[in-house]
Amino acid sequence: MQAISMESLQKDFTELKAKYGDDRSALLPILQDLQEKYRYLSDLILQETAHTLGLHPVEVEGVASFYSFFKTKEQQGKYVIRLCQTISCDLEGKANVARQLENELGIKFGETTKDHMFTLEYTNCLGMCDQGPAMMINDRLFAKVTPAKVSKIIADCRNEYIKSDFPKVVPSDVKKSGPILEHGVIAGEGLKKALEMKRPDIIYHIRQSGLKGRGGAGFPTSIKWQLAAAAKDEQKYVVCNADEGEPGTFKDRYLLFNHTDMLLDGMTIAAYVLGATKGFIYLRGEYLYMKKFLEEKLQERKQMGLLGDNILGKEGFNFHLQLRMGAGAYVCGEETALIESLEGERGEPRNRPPFPVDTGFQGHPTAVNNVETFIDAALICAKGHEWFSEHGTEQSKGTKLFSISGHCDNPGIYELPYGITIREMLKEVGGEDAKAVQVGGASGQCIPAKDFDRAIAYEDASSGGSIIVFGPNTDMLKVAKNFMEFFTEESCGQCTPCRDGNPKLLEGIHKLEKGRCSYSYLKELINLGETMQIASKCGLGQSSANAFISIMTNFQSEVLGRVPEKE
Amino acid sequence: MPDKKDFIIDDKARAPKSTTPSKVTIPENTEAIGALIAVEIDGHKLKVPMGTTILEAAKKIGITIPTLCHHEDLCVAGVCRICVVEVEGMRTLQASCAYPITSPINVKTHTRKVRRARRHILDLLLSNHVGECYSCVRNNNCELQSLAKEYGVDFYRFGKRTEPVHGKDNSSYSIARDMDKCILCRRCIRTCIDLQEVGVYDAVNKGDKTKIGMFLDKQMSEQICINCGQCINRCPVGALKGNDPSDIVWDAIDDPKKHVVMQTAPAPRAGIGECFGLEPGTPLTYEMNTALKLCGFDRVFDTNFTADLTIIEEGVELIQRLYGALVEKKSNVALPQFTSCSPGWIKYIEHFKPEMLAHVSSAKSPQQMFGAVIKTYYAQLHNIDPADIVTVALMPCTAKKFECNRPEMTDSGYKDVDFGLTTRELAQMFKEAGIELPKLEKTPFDNPFGDRTGSGVIFGATGGVMEAAIRTVYELVTGKKVENLFDHADIIPVRGMEGIKYAELPITEVGPVPDIIKHLIPDWNWLKGATLKVAVCHGTANAKKVLENIEQGGKLSECHFIEFMACPGGCLGGGGMPIPTNEEIRKARARAIYAEDSESTVRKSHENPDVLKLYQEFLTEGPCGHKSHKLLHTHYTARGKKIV
Repeated sequence: MQAISMESLQKDFTELKAKYGDDRSALLPILQDLQEKYRYLSDLILQETAHTLGLHPVEVEGVASFYSFFKTKEQQGKYVIRLCQTISCDLEGKANVARQLENELGIKFGETTKDHMFTLEYTNCLGMCDQGPAMMINDRLFAKVTPAKVSKIIADCRNEYIKSDFPKVVPSDVKKSGPILEHGVIAGEGLKKALEMKRPDIIYHIRQSGLKGRGGAGFPTSIKWQLAAAAKDEQKYVVCNADEGEPGTFKDRYLLFNHTDMLLDGMTIAAYVLGATKGFIYLRGEYLYMKKFLEEKLQERKQMGLLGDNILGKEGFNFHLQLRMGAGAYVCGEETALIESLEGERGEPRNRPPFPVDTGFQGHPTAVNNVETFIDAALICAKGHEWFSEHGTEQSKGTKLFSISGHCDNPGIYELPYGITIREMLKEVGGEDAKAVQVGGASGQCIPAKDFDRAIAYEDASSGGSIIVFGPNTDMLKVAKNFMEFFTEESCGQCTPCRDGNPKLLEGIHKLEKGRCSYSYLKELINLGETMQIASKCGLGQSSANAFISIMTNFQSEVLGRVPEKE
Repeated sequence: MPDKKDFIIDDKARAPKSTTPSKVTIPENTEAIGALIAVEIDGHKLKVPMGTTILEAAKKIGITIPTLCHHEDLCVAGVCRICVVEVEGMRTLQASCAYPITSPINVKTHTRKVRRARRHILDLLLSNHVGECYSCVRNNNCELQSLAKEYGVDFYRFGKRTEPVHGKDNSSYSIARDMDKCILCRRCIRTCIDLQEVGVYDAVNKGDKTKIGMFLDKQMSEQICINCGQCINRCPVGALKGNDPSDIVWDAIDDPKKHVVMQTAPAPRAGIGECFGLEPGTPLTYEMNTALKLCGFDRVFDTNFTADLTIIEEGVELIQRLYGALVEKKSNVALPQFTSCSPGWIKYIEHFKPEMLAHVSSAKSPQQMFGAVIKTYYAQLHNIDPADIVTVALMPCTAKKFECNRPEMTDSGYKDVDFGLTTRELAQMFKEAGIELPKLEKTPFDNPFGDRTGSGVIFGATGGVMEAAIRTVYELVTGKKVENLFDHADIIPVRGMEGIKYAELPITEVGPVPDIIKHLIPDWNWLKGATLKVAVCHGTANAKKVLENIEQGGKLSECHFIEFMACPGGCLGGGGMPIPTNEEIRKARARAIYAEDSESTVRKSHENPDVLKLYQEFLTEGPCGHKSHKLLHTHYTARGKKIV
């Protein structure tokens, strides 16, 4: 551990400014490096960072306190244990692991051991939903943790992982692949074909393919690119949203590791279409273990002439890509919040209009797309739009990667065509006896068994890929509680309906748990949820009440009139 | 006289990006840029310039959409969501304050969905709003309370928190904070960062833990705060207020041994009527004198007297600096000279640019000069023990509360000014005493400081100090009437609400040196043919730009004299003035102030007979003499930005 002095900090800032620049967009990376070095952001660090970047200290504190990976006030342990508390891990027995962690370390969650070795924290979704309960220790992942394994893991840490039985990398589990995952396309192939085309022709192909945003909102990719291409500005940006934070989603984790070239081809094609020379991959803080891999990949592509100046020999086509890490804030998956975060701000969604395609990163036109979207776009350029659009429905073209977890025999990643019904999907994964399925993660909807003939598609039950299966014995009130705890914590806190509404819904759940909620008050809360859906500022707030409303509507006799269990 | 010419300072907004105003560069129809767009609002058809927000458009046809986070002085936030409306074709409701109209739309402002959403938002805010209206300083002037009434809130739908979680912070002399009343509209953040560039507040934490934080939760008195109180003026509820000493002032009044002397600054008289339901800009100068006597103040003086005195002291200091630099060729003369009357500004430069403190005039502010004169000259004159004198200052300002408590402000041997009261606090005292201010008779100010000039009055508006200084310096130097240069002695180039103003004053001829400064300057020949360059700025965000421009050797570094006021609009926009505030209100107050100047018989500080008498009888060594320096001048503290 390093001592913090004015002198050492001054030296740090000289290096950090050289590395990240001295405008506000350097704030997050600077704080991340300082946090890593000193294990917390002390008063002095916050103030000196502020003065270095021309900010007010409270602004830096505002940013540091927004992201859960930053620690102010007290030093973290050498090993920061982050146990996933999100729904899939919860269903797999996270509570027992948590208890055992506390027993082994002699501390509670949120605390640090006296010897400054361990800090124990909860985190939201690590993207290991099919292999839960999962936890992260610094940049190392641990899957399928059981209470019995806990003491061994801690002992391994104390030994600096020498002779550790736990794998360094936890592979993803692909259960079914299709045309996307079995593309057979090599690095640069799609990009090469795209560069042979005129820009409008690329947009034409994307439009014909029917590709819509794979993050969940389903905005047509061709329109997004076209608007950003038409915007008049010297500087434009292409940003990959690799902030896969939706509970129950883990397919981008796989794609980032295994189809990196397709992703970077897709981003480079977008840069070509837009006339963008700079771009970012915004990788969620929970995927820190991928950082080195991706940075090396970027370097490698540069050497191959697939990134940098005059890409593939095309005179004047330059595209420079940087990796930026998130720091533990779910809302940064919202594209304008992501841009704010890139700019060194709290990840608070912006007012729209104006949209990022017009006024994005630092006011410049910016196209933000999901990992899978870029990959699909690169493959469409390589293989043609017909190849893509032959699957799916009229309004939802193509196949889609699904992250399926919860109560089923074969959780994992599935590539399935849009239009598949929930019933068919459950058959595929071995979860036919489910009582409900959460489609689209915490922000999606909870679909009860009677509606299992609904199709997964933008026009019906829309999903960015997260499917969580609830078996016949699931307590749906506990599910709702988990989701509402998640949103209460992960709301950015700026707009009233979301910041104050979610805690009210959670309070309602507490009443229901105690069996002390009248039907009329439950109705009031459902009405409030409906207001949150239409009056919140961003997609997070607008969707945060979805699960609550569908569970409270569909499982009323299960949630009302409970007699509380005694501890 | 050339004015405001080719004067551009980089105006990059420092606001958080999400809250900067919407920029629209690609409307669906590019030919429509600058054009009028047809909109329909609740069935009314109208055309508005492109980029107009729905809120502004609705206002034009008499539809009031409720707001909480919106403020005319501040950039868009769009966070409270109370202003949501339905836009045809959109699934969700839109925040009308943040929605720029760029294509024809059909808006409905009070549908069932909208009404229900607004009611829910109010219910949510009220459920976390701790405190009762009747024990709140903002009772009857609270935006949340008004909306609760308008929307017929008659029960707490989602319950109500009764136990405070944050507690109160009364540590600052100027600003008291009660975060349990905060509704997180973030106006204070935008005020402090964007308007003032001070940055005491920002949102900290996220989710349900989000709050308006100050650095590391330290107390207000430990923060880098300039005490300007602009945040108070823009707080929609009672979460921020001035630290009110009126109870102790009443105690002093009630104590027969105490001789309680009131001095009233120029701005409050132009605004206090607003606390009694009058239109902004209704002057109540002399009614206020009557009311103060009714309250029991023993003497009521006009701070304008020491405003005139300030002009003499500060003007002579400027002349000395110019003489030192131009004639004596001294290398250590700091020019331009900065004004020193605004205590918010003083604290700003002490914190943010202490290396430039030498530029600040050493002259005390009029408030503090008055305090020192009352407890010395006045006490001698009337044979009163200064220990029994309580000096109270009616100020438009919360920073004055801090200023009078500065340890160095005791040159009379006592605390020169005992209490600073704001306009709002005095209005409250009047109400408590059952005084209906607008209905009172008029009473003149008391002697011996009864004479004051129009120049003193305009100290209340941005540019006023500079205008007063120009009137005096020009006449002292040239021996000619300033009216030769400016009609009616109105120095228009330094007036108005522009953030930074610049003016030049050519001195083509010089006259004899007036008696009062003959001992300091042999002649004026060295100024013949010179051009006096001055600038004026208000709001410390503008002050920051000016300081940076000087540092970088920009155009303003050539100035000789610069007026700085911490508050937007100058004192009439001060943090102690009635709430609400906006540019229209500030302009109305300015009109009242300039009207009082215009109607004054004596309009130039150096012609104030009582000021001249003070130099004859008391400050006999003249302006900037030994006694002046002891009583009327001060020094500053390089505080820096570090929060410890």
